[in-house]
Amino acid sequence: MKFGQRLRSRVWRASVDDEVDAELEFHLEMRAREYAARGMSPDDARDAAIQRFGNINRVNDACRALGRQRDNDMRRTEYLSELAQDVTFACRQLVRNPGFTAVAVLTLALGIGATAAIFSVVHAVVLRPLPVADPDRIVAVYEFWRGNSGNTSAGNYVDAVAASASFSHTTAVQYSSFNLGDTADAERIIGARTTPGFFGVFSTTPGLGRVYTEAEDQAGHEQVVVLSHRLWTRRFGADPHVVGRLVRMNGRPYEVIGVMPSSFDFTQQTEELWVPIAFTAQRKATHDEHYLQIYARLKGDVTQVQAQAGLSRLAEDLHRRFPKDDAELGFAMTPMMEDLVGDYKERLFILLGAVGFVLLIACGNIANLLLARGAARAGELAIRSALGAGRGRMVRQLLTESFVLAMISAVLGLAVAAWGVQALVAAAPEGVPRLEQTTLDPAVIGFTLLVALTSAIVFGLAPAVRAARSDLQAVLKEGGRSSDMGGVRDRLRTGLIVGELAVALVLLVGAGLLIRSSIALQNVRPGFVPGGVMSARLALPAAEYPEAARVVRTFEQIAEAARHIPGVEAAGMTSQVPMGAGGNGNGLRPEGKAIEPGNIIISRLRIVTPGYIEAMRIPVVRGRSIRDGDRQGALKVMVVSEALANAAFPAQDPIGKRIACCESAPDGKSPDYKTIVGVAGDVRWRGPGEAPSPEFYLPAAQVPDVAWDWIQRTMYVAIRSATEPDALTVPLRNAVAAVAPGVPLFNARTMDQRLGESLATAKFNTLLLTLLGAIGVVLVAVGVYGVIAYFVTRRTPEIGVRMALGATRRDVVALVVKQAAWPVGLGIAAGVIISAGATRVLSSQLFNVKPHDPVTFILVALTLAAVALFATLVPARRAASMDPTRALHMN
Amino acid sequence: MPNTEPNGMLHGTLDALILKTLTWGARHGYGIARWIEDTTDERVTVEEGSLYPALYRMERRGWIAAEWGTSELGRKAKFYRITPKGRRQLAADIEQWSQFAAAVSKVLLPA
Repeated sequence: MKFGQRLRSRVWRASVDDEVDAELEFHLEMRAREYAARGMSPDDARDAAIQRFGNINRVNDACRALGRQRDNDMRRTEYLSELAQDVTFACRQLVRNPGFTAVAVLTLALGIGATAAIFSVVHAVVLRPLPVADPDRIVAVYEFWRGNSGNTSAGNYVDAVAASASFSHTTAVQYSSFNLGDTADAERIIGARTTPGFFGVFSTTPGLGRVYTEAEDQAGHEQVVVLSHRLWTRRFGADPHVVGRLVRMNGRPYEVIGVMPSSFDFTQQTEELWVPIAFTAQRKATHDEHYLQIYARLKGDVTQVQAQAGLSRLAEDLHRRFPKDDAELGFAMTPMMEDLVGDYKERLFILLGAVGFVLLIACGNIANLLLARGAARAGELAIRSALGAGRGRMVRQLLTESFVLAMISAVLGLAVAAWGVQALVAAAPEGVPRLEQTTLDPAVIGFTLLVALTSAIVFGLAPAVRAARSDLQAVLKEGGRSSDMGGVRDRLRTGLIVGELAVALVLLVGAGLLIRSSIALQNVRPGFVPGGVMSARLALPAAEYPEAARVVRTFEQIAEAARHIPGVEAAGMTSQVPMGAGGNGNGLRPEGKAIEPGNIIISRLRIVTPGYIEAMRIPVVRGRSIRDGDRQGALKVMVVSEALANAAFPAQDPIGKRIACCESAPDGKSPDYKTIVGVAGDVRWRGPGEAPSPEFYLPAAQVPDVAWDWIQRTMYVAIRSATEPDALTVPLRNAVAAVAPGVPLFNARTMDQRLGESLATAKFNTLLLTLLGAIGVVLVAVGVYGVIAYFVTRRTPEIGVRMALGATRRDVVALVVKQAAWPVGLGIAAGVIISAGATRVLSSQLFNVKPHDPVTFILVALTLAAVALFATLVPARRAASMDPTRALHMN
Repeated sequence: MPNTEPNGMLHGTLDALILKTLTWGARHGYGIARWIEDTTDERVTVEEGSLYPALYRMERRGWIAAEWGTSELGRKAKFYRITPKGRRQLAADIEQWSQFAAAVSKVLLPA
């Protein structure tokens, strides 16, 4: 019956209408015949039959509609039952070949799992929107000056950004650290001073209490604090009555007025509390101290381009009003998300691409396995085809096997991914935003299933089509070893080798370039001697250390106390250590040059005490270092870096020359000149991969009082010792406690650690890409081996004949290797061509290595060729050691 | 689909009659109608307007299956057969009918 039904559904598929017409016509005829038999004339009988039938059109329509529904039902049932059959059959096939199944599932599960793991990181860090309303409407605004974007001054924020009509909310943020608590349990907390607009920009309401108002953002009223959920749970035990409590910060009492919800902890690294920034009138008038981070929310349907145009007009206005401070000033903006994850986006997408390549190679291997199995099953397929299974039906059935295989692998792959994500998060360097929030959420699972389905088509389609297209008669006649079919398949197989090698080569070239960069970075001289140096940061609370003289004295005393720690050779204070946070840029003007933007050199300020340059062993190439006598009343001095000396006084002796710097702008005093007494070597202060930029050192005892506000009375202490620097943390802490009780020491790191951390992300990336490259190479080796082994098996009788006719083992090995040589060569050549284009995406991550570095290309090509040769030699040697008589009987 | 009930035929009875008819062997639509009419001495007339939609509906439900065959007069005709599912349905219909008939009898033909 089933067969009849199915046949009918095929025969009548397009013609329910004909079916109904024919059936009803037959009925009328029979009825007319009945009436004729009772004696009516044929015409009368026909009329009577029609008469009796009633409204034939209505019945016809009803039957047609029902018939169509019936056919749809039947087709669906048929499809589902065929699918069920196919799945059952596929499962049976997989169980029947446990070896094949295990190898295929494991290979695929690793490929899919690795892809899913990397994707979940990409999703968590880059793709997931921020947990605030319309995050894509939030922009970060920067001052833009001569191709460089940087922080904004309070004056420019108030006069331009806050005044712009393009934004519904704007905020100025100064990230700073707070000593939270009293002397005994003081803790260093990263917080932010913000204008109240902050909470509007991020469109978040507090989970508890309230946020601060404009009235509280006034000097004298600003002692209120909003806690992050993280800080509230960690430090205040999630106390629901925390609102209204007084906490001591930087020695002053603050009232807790609110707690933000946990969703507002964007990352583990974000700030943990917020206080009003409370600009004074004088600060609002200051346009040349650039230290604020600006965020804004675009109003209504204002686009970023429109907002940018508006800011540009306001900038022109500023040029006119403040020609000295705001000449050439512009504004730039980036979407907040870009600002947060911009650095990691590219690296992560490159990793995702690389892992995709590995999966592609894995698919190549599975396709190869399926081809081999297709050959083994040629007989079975031929019989099914002879029994009437259509080609499409057979392709569908074979693809179903691929899908079942892919789905099993996807489930296993998710387990691999769960483990992989844990390993990645644990092993990744600090500072990757939102990385710790990586989970296998529905988006990742959906992506994984999609990847699995796609790979099923990638590896399953060609083998299925090939198998279904096989020449029936030839197969049946030759017992599954048709030479014609072999020819076709050989092209497909060699194509797989070519593709896999090309993809692997791209992967390896990428890894190779990054490894070469890593080596180059290791060999860079940073400009100081990191070994043996310990550094740590401390901040003197403004409440307890209001006057500059006291700040200077305290810092100098701390340096002195550190110098007395046993084993310490040199110690000094600095406003910024290389690779450390903090630091300011200043515009310097060499004496004798006109006050115009073209003569200003942006340079990094280092406020130091005597002993710092010595502790870091930064070479003094000319003149002298900062020394004890550089105090108030003495000659105002500076030590400049070589880069600054060359920029300010090219081809001249800079010693004795003067540079104007660090004047407070709005009061318009006469320039404050400092005399250059020494030239220090350049320091790669942003990390070994970044070229040095101009720097200058000022003695702490001579800086203007306002400078202590710029750096928020925060300095690093750096000490050099002959012993292990790690052991210095405790004595250093004691030394600080003796001089400045209750001031916590934080961010204690050896300079070697800082150097390592600055390279950590690059190293981690290199490690991952190398790992993926290695997996790719192993997979390619397996793939090449599989194909060549198959060739050897197929040519066994021929080899037997050759050996019987006197071919030596060498001849046989050469024959097999030659067989592999051209696809391997072609694959490598294709890979080189693709790499030449593809490595450009890496260029921003390379250091002292060109994307087309010939050494890397040649080494990688040779490595892959060697691996392929090795994979070929195994089956080749096996062929050569065959017994010719047995080989001949193989047919 | 309006369900006309000729001769006061009760709702659902036509389905049962068709199924029952088919238990005696495969028949085409006209054959089914004739058989019911003959068996009931033409007291029950099967209206074409109800018969054919009922056949298509029952086929869709899987109670009957259709096949094209050759009629007794050598013409191509669509023959219906009862399926196992149809037999189960018929048994249920008969059960329901006898309960209904017994209940109605109790009212109309009190002992």
